[in-house]
Amino acid sequence: MAVATIPVRRVLSRTVLYVVALAVLALILVPLVYAVLGGFRTTGQIAERPVGLPDPWIFTNYLGTLRSPAFWRQVWNSTFIALATTLLILPLSSLAAFALARYRFRGREAIYTFFTIGLLYPVVAATLPLWLTLRDLDLLGNPWGVILPQVAFGLPLSIVILRPFFRNIPDDLEDAAIIDGCGPLRFYWHVMLPLSRPALSTISVLTIVGSWNAFLLPLLVLTRQDQWTLPLGVNNISTQYGTDTALVLAYTVLSIVPALILYAIAERHIVSGVTSGAVKG
Amino acid sequence: MASITFENVGKVYPGGTRAIYDVSIHVEDGEFVVLVGPSGCGKSTLLRMVAGLEEVTEGKLYIGDRVVNDVPPKDRDIAMVFQNYALYPHMTVYENMAFGLRLRKMPDDEIDRRVQEAARILEIHEYLDRRPKALSGGQRQRVAMGRAIVREPAAFLMDEPLSNLDAKLRVQMRSEIGLLQERLGTTTLYVTHDQTEAMTMGDRVAVLRKISHEGESNLQQIDTPRNLYDNPDNLFVAGFIGSPSMNFVYGTIQEENGKLGVKFAGHTLSVDREAIAKRPSLSNYAGKEIVIGVRPEAFEIAQAVPNATDDQKMTVKPQLVEQLGSEAYVHFEMDSPPVITPDIQELLEDQGADEETLGSVTKFTARVNPDLAPETGQETVLVVDTSKLHYFDKDTGTAIR
Repeated sequence: MAVATIPVRRVLSRTVLYVVALAVLALILVPLVYAVLGGFRTTGQIAERPVGLPDPWIFTNYLGTLRSPAFWRQVWNSTFIALATTLLILPLSSLAAFALARYRFRGREAIYTFFTIGLLYPVVAATLPLWLTLRDLDLLGNPWGVILPQVAFGLPLSIVILRPFFRNIPDDLEDAAIIDGCGPLRFYWHVMLPLSRPALSTISVLTIVGSWNAFLLPLLVLTRQDQWTLPLGVNNISTQYGTDTALVLAYTVLSIVPALILYAIAERHIVSGVTSGAVKG
Repeated sequence: MASITFENVGKVYPGGTRAIYDVSIHVEDGEFVVLVGPSGCGKSTLLRMVAGLEEVTEGKLYIGDRVVNDVPPKDRDIAMVFQNYALYPHMTVYENMAFGLRLRKMPDDEIDRRVQEAARILEIHEYLDRRPKALSGGQRQRVAMGRAIVREPAAFLMDEPLSNLDAKLRVQMRSEIGLLQERLGTTTLYVTHDQTEAMTMGDRVAVLRKISHEGESNLQQIDTPRNLYDNPDNLFVAGFIGSPSMNFVYGTIQEENGKLGVKFAGHTLSVDREAIAKRPSLSNYAGKEIVIGVRPEAFEIAQAVPNATDDQKMTVKPQLVEQLGSEAYVHFEMDSPPVITPDIQELLEDQGADEETLGSVTKFTARVNPDLAPETGQETVLVVDTSKLHYFDKDTGTAIR
């Protein structure tokens, strides 16, 4: 009997594992699938028969969205803001983390703590002062009014991910690089950055996706309709065509597709980047 | 190529800790000098000072005729091999070797020529496109050597390059590095804590130790391996060099019935007048207690030395006999308090022991003919070659000459 109980237990724990995993999967997948399929129905069909495959398949919602210049305008705006944010965060956070990880100087830990405190600071709480500052700087109605605050709010997490990563690069490697003829910047460029690729891609993906999905800041800053990002567009569509559920669903699905693709490609990097920083740090 | 000269070099860390004091070493052009000593003796610090990775705070450091105290590492024309190889993980073997040359803006065809040549010498051709991760320890070691060779530097600096290899590979690489250095004729400064490595590889060996009191240099003695072994300047060097290490016992030298004898732990052995005459200062110590040093190979089983006289023999009871085939080690104890001086304590510390482990008796090791090795516990007569004894002042630890 004792021999038999072990496999039984294993089967049981396996089953529990699968049930939990499937439940979580369903939790994420059901709304997504519902949205994707809903886009292929008419609003009438959604009301009549919300489950099952669309019958017949309606393509006008998706095609209409894809043909709309406003949608593409928003795709471009979102892309520009996401890329600009990332391209600023990568050099800034890695240089800061490099200095904080590899050099001893007075006040180093204080500066690092200051950065980490930024993690605790919610954007929402900063709304009013931020808006006032942006107004004074004349950045309202300007994509840079979104990009710069996003960079500022993104730096803490990036630095916290990168610093342990940089710290774990052995000192001997730095010595070898110095003897090979590297100064600090060449060491950073030729050795540190290539070795930190997993961490850097993690930061890129987190930043891009975060920026892509950002709603509050763009809403606050981007006043002109031609500057809107996708989440603002989605919001606008759903208020404007609130009754046309199918169109709203199609628009929403199309707006998250790029972020979804990016996640799918970079998922492995994200996991390895976050964990290697965490475990070794 | 160039010589390396330490001129009264010292190092005090910003916190005020002193690591190095008054070290003067001249490494000839093309010479292979090994810095050896227990951990914390400053050997790596000295090497890193030559590399420019540590600041020289006192004295002058020359590479060739040039004082390099304030010259940045990249302009010192030296190459370094690290203990853990320090290869760039994201570069191939080829790129690892070429990296330093690329930074120096060397033309690509010259880089290629040098890398291929180094790969040929080190027999790492087939690995050139691999990443370090895909190599074994020995192969990584070769790549690290290759990275140094391609630079064609004035000097090689090697920081315990073999200590991460397993014992067999270490012996093999030891001779390979030796041959390579001879072939290239590049001045080499080599750091190790392994005295066997030091003795086998160095043209000359510098024995270093931690500074224990103010005004004392880290450098204990620098000489050829043979001279270091035969004429150690003090107890520290005598105890550090040689394996198994030299036996020490308190004893006296005195004249009885017109015969010169050395007396220790109840034994009296006659000493050749000539051997004593070579050490004129010894006459000042007549009748006074000194430390007598006996190398394990100064002993032999009596049967192996048919013409030995009785006054060269001593009877011992082995506690342990280690049979190695090529030789045998006989461990025995003598009824005399163990020799404890600051030098000995430091050596014990390095072995992770302290004076407690010595107990209240003097432990000796004799190296004898394996064919005649006794059984453990079996009373054995040993002959001592008293011309090979070493004598030290028991207070200062310096050799009496």
